[in-house]
Amino acid sequence: MAAPPGEYFSVGSQVSCRTCQEQRLQGEVVAFDYQSKMLALKCPSSSGKPNHADILLINLQYVSEVEIINDRTETPPPLASLNVSKLASKARTEKEEKLSQAYAISAGVSLEGQQLFQTIHKTIKDCKWQEKNIVVMEEVVITPPYQVENCKGKEGSALSHVRKIIGRRGLKRWLSS
Amino acid sequence: MKIEFNKTIFINLCRGRNSSKGLPQPTISFDGIYANVRMVHILTSVVGSKCEVQVKNGGVYEGVFKTYSPKCDLVLDAAHEKSTESSSGPKREEIMESVLFKCSDFVVVQFKDTDSSYARRDAFTDSALSAKVNGEHKEKDLEPWDAGELTASEELEALENDVSNGWDPNDMFRYNEENYGVVSTYDSSLSSYTVPLERDNSEEFLKREARANQLAEEIESSAQYKARVALENDDRSEEEKYTAVQRNCSDREGHGTNTRENKYIPPGQRNREVISWGSGRQSSPRMGQPGPGSMPSRATSHTSDFNPNAGSDQRVVNGGVPWPSPCPSPSSRPPSRYQSGPNSLPPRAATPTRPPSRPPSRPSRPPSHPSAHGSPAPVSTMPKRMSAEGPPRMSPKAQRHPRNHRVSAGRGSMSSGLEFVSHNPPSEAAAPPVARTSPAGGTWSSVVSGVPRLSPKTHRPRSPRQNSAGNSPSGPVLASPQAGITPAEAVSMPVPAASPTPASPASNRALTPSIEAKDSRLQDQRQNSPAGNKENIKASETSPSFSKAENKGVSPVISEHRKQIDDLKKFKNDFRLQPSSTSESMDQLLSKNREGEKSRDLMKDKTEASAKDSFIDSGSSSCTSSSSKTNSPSASPSVLSNAEHKRGPEVTSQGVQTSSPACKQEKDDREERKDTTELVCALRSLFSQSNPQPSPSMVGHQQPAPVYTQPVCFAPNMMYPVPVSPGVIPFQCVPFSPAVPNMPQQRQEQHHQSTMMHPASAAGPPIVATPPAAYSTQYVAYSPQQFPNQPLVQHVPHYQSQHPHVYSPVIQGNARMMAPPAHAQPGLVSSSAAQFGAHEQTHAMYACPKLPYNKETSPSFYFAISTGSLAQQYAHPNATLHPHPPHPQPSATPTGQQQSQHGGSHPAPSPVQHHQHQAAQALHLASPQQQSAIYHAGLAPTPPSMTPASNTQSPQSSFPAAPQTVFTIHPSHVQPAYTTPPHMAHVPQAHVQSGMVPSHPTAHAPMMLMTTQPPGGPQAALAQSALQPIPVSTTAHFPYMTHPSVQAHHQQQL
Repeated sequence: MAAPPGEYFSVGSQVSCRTCQEQRLQGEVVAFDYQSKMLALKCPSSSGKPNHADILLINLQYVSEVEIINDRTETPPPLASLNVSKLASKARTEKEEKLSQAYAISAGVSLEGQQLFQTIHKTIKDCKWQEKNIVVMEEVVITPPYQVENCKGKEGSALSHVRKIIGRRGLKRWLSS
Repeated sequence: MKIEFNKTIFINLCRGRNSSKGLPQPTISFDGIYANVRMVHILTSVVGSKCEVQVKNGGVYEGVFKTYSPKCDLVLDAAHEKSTESSSGPKREEIMESVLFKCSDFVVVQFKDTDSSYARRDAFTDSALSAKVNGEHKEKDLEPWDAGELTASEELEALENDVSNGWDPNDMFRYNEENYGVVSTYDSSLSSYTVPLERDNSEEFLKREARANQLAEEIESSAQYKARVALENDDRSEEEKYTAVQRNCSDREGHGTNTRENKYIPPGQRNREVISWGSGRQSSPRMGQPGPGSMPSRATSHTSDFNPNAGSDQRVVNGGVPWPSPCPSPSSRPPSRYQSGPNSLPPRAATPTRPPSRPPSRPSRPPSHPSAHGSPAPVSTMPKRMSAEGPPRMSPKAQRHPRNHRVSAGRGSMSSGLEFVSHNPPSEAAAPPVARTSPAGGTWSSVVSGVPRLSPKTHRPRSPRQNSAGNSPSGPVLASPQAGITPAEAVSMPVPAASPTPASPASNRALTPSIEAKDSRLQDQRQNSPAGNKENIKASETSPSFSKAENKGVSPVISEHRKQIDDLKKFKNDFRLQPSSTSESMDQLLSKNREGEKSRDLMKDKTEASAKDSFIDSGSSSCTSSSSKTNSPSASPSVLSNAEHKRGPEVTSQGVQTSSPACKQEKDDREERKDTTELVCALRSLFSQSNPQPSPSMVGHQQPAPVYTQPVCFAPNMMYPVPVSPGVIPFQCVPFSPAVPNMPQQRQEQHHQSTMMHPASAAGPPIVATPPAAYSTQYVAYSPQQFPNQPLVQHVPHYQSQHPHVYSPVIQGNARMMAPPAHAQPGLVSSSAAQFGAHEQTHAMYACPKLPYNKETSPSFYFAISTGSLAQQYAHPNATLHPHPPHPQPSATPTGQQQSQHGGSHPAPSPVQHHQHQAAQALHLASPQQQSAIYHAGLAPTPPSMTPASNTQSPQSSFPAAPQTVFTIHPSHVQPAYTTPPHMAHVPQAHVQSGMVPSHPTAHAPMMLMTTQPPGGPQAALAQSALQPIPVSTTAHFPYMTHPSVQAHHQQQL
């Protein structure tokens, strides 16, 4: 359903859409472009982080139903300036991180190692793959088969934290088995 | 569906081109979505975040959002298709460098965990803080005005100080009396404070005076006095340090004036002045005492006192006036001095005597008292004199005149006259303003007093800079002439006259320039900071447009190819999984093995190398291009590579088939089949990888088992696989080239199987069996000659030309059919049954991997599997019936060429096969069997119609097969129990049929060579002729239907 000319989605209003694939989406209108028929919605973050949000870009050409739940006519707040260089560096970092993870998977890292990496990455962002080894904060190196005794590196909070994570995971596995 | 895929690919290629054309648009102007500021802001803020794109066909792709185009086409970096099956992350091979999604292709895009404040964090960075400071600087634009006001207020204070200096007490007294009627009680003699000294000519007085002089000289020569003078010099250095240096000329002049002031400050000089003035006063009272003559002299002295006071006031005013004059230009100073010289001669003569009289009188009286007491008196006099130095404004004026008096006392009347002349210039300069003030009166005096106040405001701010700057360099120069020459000192006198007043304004002026400097610096910062901000803004504006312009047109094609491959893989999985559910308990064992194989295949597919992926991609592209029959530029290289591979097999095929005709259509068909064969080769290589031992070795293992029953027969057969096994390995390694070699391998394997079967069934001498296998090709050549029938001769060339393609499905089917004869003799040889079971397993293994790729032939393989399982359960006659129906039926639905091929194969054996069919049906006379045959025939054509349709319908075909098999099992069991004699009679017929089907030469060979078979042949012929009149009208219709269709296809080919 394309919005008729003159009737646009006001920024800040709550909208619910149903796509041609019977998928229902709901969120706050952030932007709408009539020419390209694109609707940008802001939804609660899928990861549950308080200061984060998911942005949905919906192609209204493939939307079967649009419902305005709560319409808001207030003037939208002014737009803040953006640091383009910061965004570009973020994109580059995200890409490199994903490629390194994929490289590790293709190199034959076990599923256990992959899950361990993801668990560590949740708490310590400075975590990367070095072939089959997990390097944390450039200080701790975890070699296969990724057990507590496989942690090596400079003594400190990072090493103790990583060992706790691995120990906790081992305990969960033992309890489950 | 294939056509649709091709169209979508073509459309995407066009779109890719359009996107490439659109690149210059954003640079020209904001077009499309770029014009929507809010949309641009939100999309730019999510750049670099992970996002999932859901496309029209339901696929989901995950990657890092890179940029977007004016048409809202999205570009993802490091993108991969997200599959629900694998929960783990993507592999390196699955990730694509960059993918372009057209705005019309995606339905929903989800950017996960975006931090809206991430991009706005600039507000908390140092640069942002500096920007705020810049803003504050802008607010400080008002400060310089405030500073100006402050400087103005300070100047006002300076004026106040100047006013105090400018106003002479006498002038103030007069002003108050005239304007306000107030009379001051001030007495210059200070009689109320001190006791005047009575000057006497007595010796005691003279002695006391001489002693005082001596004490003063001693004090001045002492070390303490010198040290204190040095401290004063240090003060000078401090002034120099704190003053701001601007101009050299002004600096020198300033230094000169400062040094002169400092020189006159020393208290020693003040003491001398006091002594000299004291002596003057003593002389004056003496003259008064002698008589009335002295009294008029005093009166004259009083009048002279008034004049010098006015002169001093004028001097101060003049001091202000001449300062501005030298500021504009140094040349103006000399003319002012010259002019003042001749005019001021008379008033200077009177002025120098009286002004110094007042200040020295105060300090002179205290020393008289200490002199009476003794030595402590000189000590007390020093601190008092030092205290006299406190008021800097008054002290320099007093110091000037005392120096003159000292000189006159030392030198005499002549020298004193010269001194008066030297003092003339400043007094003359002061004369004109005095004249102005006196005639003006009250109102005029107020106006005149206001004018000089205003003038120093405007002029002083400039001059003090120059003076203060020039203080240090000119100091020593001025000092030397004073010490050497008295007229030089006289020349320096007028300058110090003005110096005290500019001193205070100099300090104020020094402050103002610093403030102004700060203001200017702030202004500079303000100017710089907004420029930086603008530059930042410009950079931010320009950079997104460049980044957004980055697009790749090739990626969508690749992504769609991968989509198709993924869809094919899904269909494979569905196709493989479903047959296992339909199989029975006996089949479950085989199905379990097959499932294991499937799981292995899936693992292999997942672990496939990038090279194989590229091969598959090229294969898919070639398939699409060949099916669409349009040579697209992207697919051209793959087509060329395929063409090169095709040439090889064509040459080999031509070598084998001497009389093969070359047609374009045939080439296209061959290309399609070769593509499928390539896929089959890949699967075979995977199959070989899964099995630790190659298939030839397995065949070798199977052969030793029969050795126990017939060691002589199998011993020579074991020799054949040995040379074949090394050849198979290198062929399997190469995916494309072994397309043709695989066919002869299959033929050889089949020949071996046929030879193995024949000895078992015939039970004849083994020596006789081996020669037929070796000479099978010769019999093929000779068979048409032996048979004089014309239709056989006409069909022979088609049969030969299509030989390799026809054999691929037929031979495999025949291989399965070889098993029933073995089962027919279970009583004779029990061990052989187990051996043949193993053979069937091997056949099943061969067939399984081919199914997913050979969609057109998949139904035949499917039926082959079912026939294999059925053969194990019930009699051979049913098995012989099942494979025949699918052959003619699928020929109708495929292309004409395929029909012609099948038709070519049918006419050669058509009369014998059809008669056999009628005989079999007549003998059984079972309606359920006929129905089962009809169902199989009906289902066969539907699978090959459409690629996705075949995938979807294949599970449907499996469901009806199950009940049919159940029905067929029961009647087969019943029939053999009741009709034992016809079963025995059918056995030889079955053998003959099986012998005929694989190849005429093999069938004819045993008839010609083996004498035991002839009695079976005529019996079969008699049976067929006898059965013909018996069949029902309905059965008669079926063969007639097939015959005309086949003939029609033949005519079409011709």
